[in-house]
Amino acid sequence: MGAKQHRVLVVEDEDNIAIALDYLMTREGYAHDRVANGGDAMAHIHATHPDLVLLDVMLPEVSGYEICQAIRLDPSLAGVKILMMTARGSAIERRKGMALGADGFISKPFELAELRDEVRRLLGRERVVPGG
Amino acid sequence: MAVAVAVAVAAVLALALITGAGRATGGFTLVAVIAGFGLAGLVSGLWYLVDTHLARPVDVLSGAMRARAHGDMADVLDPAVAPQLGDLAPAAAALAQGLATTRAALAGAVAQQTAQLTAGKARLEALLADVPVGVLLCSGDHKLAFYNGPAVEMIGAGLTDPGLDRPLFDFLRDGPVRLAHARLLATGDPAAASDLLAATCDGGRILSARMRLRPEGGYVLTLTDVTEGLATHAKREALMADMVDQMRRPAATLASLMAALPEAGALAPPVERALRDEVARLTRSVTELTQRHDAGRSEAVPQTATRASDLADGIRARIEADGQSLTANTTELLLQCNGFEVIALVAGLAGHVGSEAGAFTLNVVEDGPGAMIRLGWQGPPVQVAQLEGWLDAPLEPGLPDLARRDVLTGHATDLWPETTPDGPSLCLPIRQARRAVTRPTPVPRPVVYDFDLLSQARTGALHDSPLSALTYVVFDTETTGLDPARDDIVQIAAVRIVNGRRVEGEVFDTLVNPGRPIPARSTAVHGITEAMVAGAPDIAAVTRRFHAFARGAVLVAHNAPFDMALLRRAEAATGLVFDHPVLDTVLLSAVVFGQHQTHTLDELTQRLAVTIPEEARHTALGDSIATADAFLKLIGMAQGQGHGTFGAVLAQVRRHGRLLQDLN
Repeated sequence: MGAKQHRVLVVEDEDNIAIALDYLMTREGYAHDRVANGGDAMAHIHATHPDLVLLDVMLPEVSGYEICQAIRLDPSLAGVKILMMTARGSAIERRKGMALGADGFISKPFELAELRDEVRRLLGRERVVPGG
Repeated sequence: MAVAVAVAVAAVLALALITGAGRATGGFTLVAVIAGFGLAGLVSGLWYLVDTHLARPVDVLSGAMRARAHGDMADVLDPAVAPQLGDLAPAAAALAQGLATTRAALAGAVAQQTAQLTAGKARLEALLADVPVGVLLCSGDHKLAFYNGPAVEMIGAGLTDPGLDRPLFDFLRDGPVRLAHARLLATGDPAAASDLLAATCDGGRILSARMRLRPEGGYVLTLTDVTEGLATHAKREALMADMVDQMRRPAATLASLMAALPEAGALAPPVERALRDEVARLTRSVTELTQRHDAGRSEAVPQTATRASDLADGIRARIEADGQSLTANTTELLLQCNGFEVIALVAGLAGHVGSEAGAFTLNVVEDGPGAMIRLGWQGPPVQVAQLEGWLDAPLEPGLPDLARRDVLTGHATDLWPETTPDGPSLCLPIRQARRAVTRPTPVPRPVVYDFDLLSQARTGALHDSPLSALTYVVFDTETTGLDPARDDIVQIAAVRIVNGRRVEGEVFDTLVNPGRPIPARSTAVHGITEAMVAGAPDIAAVTRRFHAFARGAVLVAHNAPFDMALLRRAEAATGLVFDHPVLDTVLLSAVVFGQHQTHTLDELTQRLAVTIPEEARHTALGDSIATADAFLKLIGMAQGQGHGTFGAVLAQVRRHGRLLQDLN
């Protein structure tokens, strides 16, 4: 039997990039869900307490920055890791994300291997055997 | 007076006669009486002579002189007005004549200068009326002292048209103008200039302005209406932003999806390879283009180097106006930003935040290639959602079309809340900043004018031209050595003299690559090394530029044959001929001071009180300027000696030609 299976929440409004992320999360053996707009994200996070939130910056209704700050200001979500994703990827956006409490920041387009490594870094090296 | 004395003496003697008649002898009394009358007559006669021949002529002469001294009489004083005074009256007449001549000359000169100034003023006004930019001349307390037509068009859309002595801030919003004015005053440079963006009071127009201090006080604002330009730019910018965003997302998605492709194994290898290449290329292009677009955003609005302390002062003033306080801690940085916008943004956000203790802190510190502005307070932190709402509001009440968020976009930056052990804060990075170091020497103003050129007759032959009417190019060279037949130029500099004054902005100054080693003993004199000239143009290229610079001018140099020999050696390579008239300050010095004096540049400049800064001595430009200033004094003195035309000076100079051979 493997170690605890990590749970990842993908908050991404772009369906096609969500497909790529779904492919990666499945291949890596993470339990994962997706929400497509910022307004639904906090409720889902409170309900599922994911280990990692893969959080797009530009979201409908509520921005990724707002969600990031809300997670960090909520003591009950203290253990949740946040990896922000942005298509712009400027240094200032990165700093803003990190200042608001993100644990990592990745720019689109990203190589899946690059994202995989960043997710592994945040969740620790332990790899879960699918179905274990 | 003389008569009174005589009568008194006679009365005394008569009394003596009467009283003495009874008791003295008659002979003695008679003699006394006769003597008394004789003495009285003598005194009266003498007095008469003095009065008619001395006192009265002196009175007449002094009256006439006073009348000419103070009464502004211009007629000739009659030398015969007091013939009794001998040569004094003719001498006074000559003096009066001299005074009248001087007065007439002075009045003529004043009238001429006044006419020149009036004509210059009229030309300037005509010029300013026609230039397409608005020009405002304001006093130090921001009142209008001059405005032209385009300025009225730009700022006069409010209740009233601009008028002299009216406050500028009846027409333009004061914030950016006051900030720029304070910033310029703080530079300590009486002619400093700064760019700013100002809005009319009704918010109808946005004007790009350049403020330049006037050395005598106040400032000039030159205005360009950028309202439509900014609106057009904003539309294009919005289109570009949409385009970039719409390209960016699919490109990013495509690239990420490609990663999943190989394992699907659905494509033939060549097709897969081609697809992968094309996606990679598209992604790279989009990424590069979007990065360039983001970097270029901050160039959309005029931004100037703004001192961190100026920003802090501006923010403090606004916060204090709201009854709160601000403690600023800034490093000496110059931030590349629109100071007015940044101040309005930070102060406006501070108004929303509100501090529990009514006190804010402001830190402006170096942050990589830029700076970080951090506004801190005591109280609850700001939520990102709140902040987003505040950023949607107008920057200023009078600028409904300029949202706070637009300031962030214009500066290609962002803003966020952060909480540190010191409390909550708002962070605003500015992308570019540099440390404020010693201010560089003000750059010579490139705008030059001399209205008298317009009325200068140019038909006169050179020979008969007054010295002050000619255009001169005064030049100097630094070389690899002292033999003009073998050595080469390593630096050449020149200045122009037009209408009797050296034109500050018109300078030629370049290093020359001699294509050969520079001996150490030469470098020791002029400081020019082989490394310094490695990237410099060769003598042919420089000669072509210098020939163009000197076109139509009289060439002037100190010890001109040396420099002319070097120039003429370059003629063959360029096909150009230096057939300019040439004057030599060595010879001119000999004309003015005589051959017994020393005529080196150092001696000459010292004699003429022309100062060469030590760091400029033995640089081609420094020596050119010194030679030019000495030359101007020399031609003034030559004119005073009666050699007022080029031909007359040339004739005198030829007489002293032999001197040069002695010097060499």
